[in-house]
Amino acid sequence: MAEIVSVLALAHAPGATGWLDKAPKHEQDGIINGYAELRRRLAAAKPDLIVGVANDHLLNFHPTNVPDWCVGIADHWEGPAEWFRDWVNVPHYEVAGNSSLGRTIVRESGKRGFNLAFSDSLLFDDNWSVPLHFLTPDHDVPLVPIHMNCVLPPMPSPQRCYEFGKVLADVVRTWPEKKRVAIMATGGLSHDPGGPKYFGVDEPFDRGFLALLNEGDPQKVLREITIEKMIGAGDGGTVELLAWFVALGAVGTRKADTAFYVPSVPLRCGMGGVSWDMK
Amino acid sequence: MGVMDTDRTLPANRLVFEVRRDRKLVERFANDLEGLMKDYGLSEAEKKALREIDLKALAALGMHPYFLPQVSRLFKGTGYNHNESAAAQLYASKMLAPGKP
Repeated sequence: MAEIVSVLALAHAPGATGWLDKAPKHEQDGIINGYAELRRRLAAAKPDLIVGVANDHLLNFHPTNVPDWCVGIADHWEGPAEWFRDWVNVPHYEVAGNSSLGRTIVRESGKRGFNLAFSDSLLFDDNWSVPLHFLTPDHDVPLVPIHMNCVLPPMPSPQRCYEFGKVLADVVRTWPEKKRVAIMATGGLSHDPGGPKYFGVDEPFDRGFLALLNEGDPQKVLREITIEKMIGAGDGGTVELLAWFVALGAVGTRKADTAFYVPSVPLRCGMGGVSWDMK
Repeated sequence: MGVMDTDRTLPANRLVFEVRRDRKLVERFANDLEGLMKDYGLSEAEKKALREIDLKALAALGMHPYFLPQVSRLFKGTGYNHNESAAAQLYASKMLAPGKP
């Protein structure tokens, strides 16, 4: 049986790789050191593979047919997608997938009330390219990417995301392979791509959200952090925190350990990351 | 205007969605925008707004907020997209009061 050895959640804003030099030195240091700390935590858990959960930035979910979640079931992935390459500013990379686990997640989640789409041809943009660049820069840990709809109404509710996280963790643990699995949610924190707060960050919201995660009371997070509240903190960007609710479902009442938080207007994003000790 | 105001059936949303996935369509966006807009069935209001890079009008028509700065990048380039970049400044000039950010 597989074991979940690490759960992480972190921001993936493209400015971290695309124009970090435009941020003041203390922000650069905070972001670089923060990602390095998450990399250390992930490496210490010695994962054989990563199950990732991230917003699909309207790159794969065609407007005619938008699922809540879509599991990548290919054995091989590459990125960044061509048009996003200069923007994200990371070199072309390849990373292994895991068809067996991807298909298991789709099949077994289906039996438990989650109708997941699946694909063997997902395009990657900053959603994976930035986290992988910082956390597994050699791209030597296979990734099962799960794209989700955080930005095109109706999005799955925080409660639904939390429930999916519980199912996802259970399904991973019933996968018969003896593998060490990390769950990595990426997105957020406050930002507003193309919206009225595009050039701003909502630091009070972000700090409040992180403090809630540190308490280890998911029901309280669900009560206090609604979609409306996330939208209030930055429309289509902050709502990417729905991916963090999936992580929350996987960790239950464990308390998050914040690795870093840097509100960065030059990066147009509240940059931060947390992990949960799964021992 | 924001994500909740998106009209996912808007032809302009479909156009921008598909362009970013296909280098040939990116080239066509640059070289034959009129033909591209015609093929995707954009309304006259959508065509005028995209032709004039009228991001506020596109937003009012139901374009997804993500696509507004992406339209600015289709016109001004994608790389090094910091707040003073040509693409970000194009967005700012169209969407925000003068002088901001």
